[in-house]
Amino acid sequence: MTISSPVLRNSMRLILPITLLYAMYAMLKGHHEPGGGFIGGMIFATAICTYRMSHGALAQLRLMPVHPRVLIFLGLGLALGTSVIPLLLGEPFLRSAVGEFHLPFSSHPFHYASAMAFDLGVMLVVVGVGVGMITQLSEELE
Amino acid sequence: MKLENLIILFVAIPMGTGVIGVLLKQRVQIARVLGVLSFLATSALAVGLLVHLRSHPTGILVSQMGAWPAPFGISVVFDSLSGLLLAASSLVALGCYVHSFSTVEPTAEKRYFHALVQLLMFGVNLAFLTGDLFNLFVSFEIMLMASYCLLTFGGTRLQMTQAYKYVLLNLIGSTVFVIGAGLVYGMTGTLNFADLALFVAERQAQGRALPPGFAALSIALLLVFGLKGAIFPLWFWLPDTYYTCNVSIAGLFAGMLTKVGIYAIARTFPMIFAHGGSDAAKIVMPILAISAAFTMFLGVLGAVSHHNIRRILAVHVISQVGYMVFGLALMTQIALAGCLFYMIQHMVVKSCLFLCCGIIERHTGTDDLDRSGGLLRRDWYLALVFFIAAMSLVGLPPLSGFFGKLVIVREGWDTRWWLSIFGLLTGALTLLSMLKIWSYCFWSPQAAAIERTPENLPNRGSLRPAYAGATLLVLVALFLGFGAQPVYEIAFRAGRQLADPDEYIVAVLGPGALDEVAKYRATSAQLAAGRAAEVTP
Amino acid sequence: MTIILSICVAVTFAVSIYLMTGRELKSIAMGVFLLGHAANLSIIAMSRTPVRHEPQLLKGAPILTEAFDAARPMSSIVDPLPQALILTAIVIGFAVMAFLLSLLVLTSRKAGTLNVEQLAAEAMQGA
Repeated sequence: MTISSPVLRNSMRLILPITLLYAMYAMLKGHHEPGGGFIGGMIFATAICTYRMSHGALAQLRLMPVHPRVLIFLGLGLALGTSVIPLLLGEPFLRSAVGEFHLPFSSHPFHYASAMAFDLGVMLVVVGVGVGMITQLSEELE
Repeated sequence: MKLENLIILFVAIPMGTGVIGVLLKQRVQIARVLGVLSFLATSALAVGLLVHLRSHPTGILVSQMGAWPAPFGISVVFDSLSGLLLAASSLVALGCYVHSFSTVEPTAEKRYFHALVQLLMFGVNLAFLTGDLFNLFVSFEIMLMASYCLLTFGGTRLQMTQAYKYVLLNLIGSTVFVIGAGLVYGMTGTLNFADLALFVAERQAQGRALPPGFAALSIALLLVFGLKGAIFPLWFWLPDTYYTCNVSIAGLFAGMLTKVGIYAIARTFPMIFAHGGSDAAKIVMPILAISAAFTMFLGVLGAVSHHNIRRILAVHVISQVGYMVFGLALMTQIALAGCLFYMIQHMVVKSCLFLCCGIIERHTGTDDLDRSGGLLRRDWYLALVFFIAAMSLVGLPPLSGFFGKLVIVREGWDTRWWLSIFGLLTGALTLLSMLKIWSYCFWSPQAAAIERTPENLPNRGSLRPAYAGATLLVLVALFLGFGAQPVYEIAFRAGRQLADPDEYIVAVLGPGALDEVAKYRATSAQLAAGRAAEVTP
Repeated sequence: MTIILSICVAVTFAVSIYLMTGRELKSIAMGVFLLGHAANLSIIAMSRTPVRHEPQLLKGAPILTEAFDAARPMSSIVDPLPQALILTAIVIGFAVMAFLLSLLVLTSRKAGTLNVEQLAAEAMQGA
């Protein structure tokens, strides 16, 4: 399902990187503020799907050269892995490790939580599902 | 390592295997081995933990996800009720999964079949383990989503048109569930089962009424759970659903889907929504009793009237669900224990019958009773397995169904004798319908209509997994019959904890949770004693 | 706010039920999706400041830095639980939508129609 409109094509070239960047930002800030893996993944998948609309299926494949199935596998594996690791350490499932570390060039402490990896997994799954679903359905309809 | 933390493995193992199954789309052999290992692991874990629980003081293991304390975080609870159901469901899943190796089409196997079976069990296990209403909804959805996909696997037109009924009905049910969960939260401020039970206990100890609309809310949730559990009058989706899909999957569905709905009623209603003599209980219990009578009796009449094996078995599921609802409608400790025992024995036996039906279909090429026959001479082993399973379902002593029905009917005799009579009558008609299959399929001489050519004769080797699956389940059914004593010990404990949730509340919310309630109870006991003292002089 | 939300819920429910009474599977599917949204909206309408348990864990968390009134801590907190519920329900609705849409595509390809009556007639013949 490609829409051949020069306006969409050219504006998409501008919008795509910004949207992908914003998706990452929305995912990262989700630990304390509104946002998170699902929302980041949704924004990411929407950007990819719009790109597919403006530039065609081939261009989208060049942009994201993995099968959505692999993304879903990696995402679920990452999320499950981060939640199982605490079990091995004698903690309950899904327990998150939190802490701070200092980057060498700044004095501001950097807060981290291992739930971040879980969120990244969620994001990968959402991207995989979103892109895979749109791809499959549009292939069916074509 | 703390034992409590391990209970989440019931969820993590099938999920992990399902995730790997997504990647192993083409590697059928590896996926099969992994799937069998996963179900073996969950079965072993469930049985091991059950044995451990027998010497445990309360018999309740609780794990708080992410170590967030109870009413805020997600609690996962393994008590006697969940434990028995988890053990039974894992074993049934193992049997049906092994059986499917000889019935599922190779094309379907390469389309995420293995992953979907694992994800179905992921949902079922989560439903049995979870300690709050919302995760119950989530697990229902996971289970249903996998079941939708498994149901439409062949992609035939009949399957498509039948699937809509099941899918749309369940979607509407899920929506009512979400709204119900939201209402529960709005009224009580919590969704945790233990916290909800504490809320009800507090109100009762203080002598205050429950919030207005609580009874209506429990009816809405009863509607949702009843729809999943196929109780009267919400059963109409069931027979067609089990008719169109692969027979091993139908066996799995017959074991799991309805039981999860009944489990949800058993978990929430005695503890919370219809706890001891509240207004809601006065409305819910007669509804359950009437529904139980109709479910049992009309279900078995439907089964008697049908004339092919799969339909008889599918409609029979409804009638058996009626016995469980019967146990729930009495809502005493012993009746709840009987209901639990009946649930697990029915899971095992009904799935086993479906697996036998799969083998019969392979032998005769059809499940029409008129066109099959002479199987006793051709395959005595199948006849033996079928006979044991069928008689367990009917409830002939010393097989498992007898002990389930005995406790429920006996317990109902004093308060709801008419239900017990319906139960006994249903048992007789069950015998009739099982004998119908037996005499047509096994005893009657070979029907003349079947032409046996070497091509359509079933290959013994390819049926070996099917026999293995059915044998496993019939062994479990025999164990439930001859080893009913230890199983019932666990079931009675579960019934006691459902009828009186104090131990459950303390186990989930921590030791101090009941202090307030105890204070109120003590004062009201003092008041009552004072009143009694005033009356005596 | 509650009144506006409840009107929204009512209208969404009405539209979804109207759609579900249609004769085309497409409109029924759309009705089901809308029904999910109506349910989510109704959960928002039911959310309020937490009354049963004060969330001790949230005190001092960065989320409370702005507009946090220390004198009345509960008035400035939005109950996080309904939001978590709705997010989960949306995710599930998303999956259901994907499934139903692909089922619709497959059905129209196999049966050539999405009209309920025609499909039902066919199912009667098949059974």
